[in-house]
Amino acid sequence: MKKIIITNNPLVYENYKDKMEIMYSATYTYLEVLSNARNKIHEGHRLLTHPLSGSVKPNETPYKSVAVTIEKGSLDMESLMIIEESIETAKKFIFGKKTPRWTEKILEDFRLIDFYLIKGAIESMDQFHG
Amino acid sequence: MRLELGKIKITDVQFGDTTKVENGTLYVNEQEIVNLILEDEHIKSVKVELAKPGEETRITPVKDVIEPRVKVEGPGGIFPGVINKVTTVGTGRTHVLSGAAVVTCGKIVGFQEGIIDMSGPGAEYTPFSKTYNVCLVIEPVEGLKQHEYEAAARMAGLKAAAFIGKAGLNVQPDEVEVYETKPLLESIQEYPNLPKIGYVYMLQTQGLLHDTYVYGVDAKKIVPTILYPTEVMDGAILSGNCVSACDKNTTYHHQNNPIIHDLYARHGKDLNFVGVIITNENVYLADKERSSNWTAKLCRFLGLDGAIISQEGFGNPDTDLIMNCRKIENEGVKTVIVTDEYAGRDGASQSLADADPKADAVVTGGNANEIIVLPPMKRIIGMLDYTDKIAGGFDGSLRPDGSIEAEIQVITGATNELGFNKMSATTF
Repeated sequence: MKKIIITNNPLVYENYKDKMEIMYSATYTYLEVLSNARNKIHEGHRLLTHPLSGSVKPNETPYKSVAVTIEKGSLDMESLMIIEESIETAKKFIFGKKTPRWTEKILEDFRLIDFYLIKGAIESMDQFHG
Repeated sequence: MRLELGKIKITDVQFGDTTKVENGTLYVNEQEIVNLILEDEHIKSVKVELAKPGEETRITPVKDVIEPRVKVEGPGGIFPGVINKVTTVGTGRTHVLSGAAVVTCGKIVGFQEGIIDMSGPGAEYTPFSKTYNVCLVIEPVEGLKQHEYEAAARMAGLKAAAFIGKAGLNVQPDEVEVYETKPLLESIQEYPNLPKIGYVYMLQTQGLLHDTYVYGVDAKKIVPTILYPTEVMDGAILSGNCVSACDKNTTYHHQNNPIIHDLYARHGKDLNFVGVIITNENVYLADKERSSNWTAKLCRFLGLDGAIISQEGFGNPDTDLIMNCRKIENEGVKTVIVTDEYAGRDGASQSLADADPKADAVVTGGNANEIIVLPPMKRIIGMLDYTDKIAGGFDGSLRPDGSIEAEIQVITGATNELGFNKMSATTF
């Protein structure tokens, strides 16, 4: 399935930049990744992965990767509901308590977890369409 | 399927020359356990430590908790497809070292979570402060990848629990509980006038450190299917989950699923508990759609009047939960959902990341954002330096005196979404 990955995770970027469309910036915050996904949904793209993938909390990991369709249609209300609820949930965590300043070793672990979460979803999407 | 569960009450744990149970005391031969664990070349060292209720002991970071059990009669062995052959389990007789647990610890990732305090205010929030724990602190070999370390620690815990469980093989149980579920048509014939109730059992399955296994199969690759409830008691479902300490289901939770136990308690009285539907919680939305379509289809196929749906984990599983609830209700089957809440520290925020008017019967395991201060403990099993970097912990949460101020989500099992805890709410 043709898709756009929106991410702030360099590991995801390095692995997929030559294989699919990626909207990447290392400086996006967690919430900016979600708001970029919301913008895409408003343009008519559909959400492919759940924005709150994983049980790692939004004020715990700084990394987030979300997939939306490349194709555009009319506004998909279900995608909009999911992204709005996800943004509200993420804000509740992040505004309640800031993400700690992690050591590089821990950041590496968070990048890996986020990478595996999106990787599993991409494999599921692409098993019949390379 | 009919399973006799022979419970051998364990009231103490000690090191000994042989691994055995005598007069309620579990004796553990440390070297035998160490040798067993070190068969795996991914593990550099393992430290075996014992923790008892009431001690000033803190165990952290906890990966899994497993109850030692052994198959005494009937086909197969405990943890089918992993420790034993993939034989279908759930019949015959199984002995349980009730009151004992194997606890695995290791910093698989830097933010590894999970605290068990054996006394003090934190002990009230975890069921594993009441068990006699054989703790395995597992160190990997140099350069081992996180997923390999997780797999090695997961296997180490299961191997140790199966080994210790064998000590109960020839011991007379203190009590024998009998659980039976008949094939669907027989069950309906036996209780034609009772409402048919099923249990939709959601398993966390999103990828690295978020996985659950069924008969050795990675559950993110399954489509929803039906199990006899007694299969779960013989270890058909295993945890490979290391995140969200408060609301992940450890293997112990699966073995002792309280929803299954409580449904059995009322089976044949005011309801007919016909079976368990297992399903997953994947990242790809199409997987969520397919799985929730199938749980609804299976509920209808079984002719259920009602279903209890339990969730595991935080965030995206809220969407699976609501999809399951809405679609099952749309099939004319009444639902009750079991979840927990992230309602903010003051409890005033919306609790779940998804909602639906059909989700009008909800059981909650509590608010995971609630703050707690855990006093310093005399003894640490595992490593404390990581506790200020775990979920719900925050910069400075580990105070100089060794006390910890954190959200209760750091505590293993604190807001368990099977209801395996004691928190409740009272209205005035």
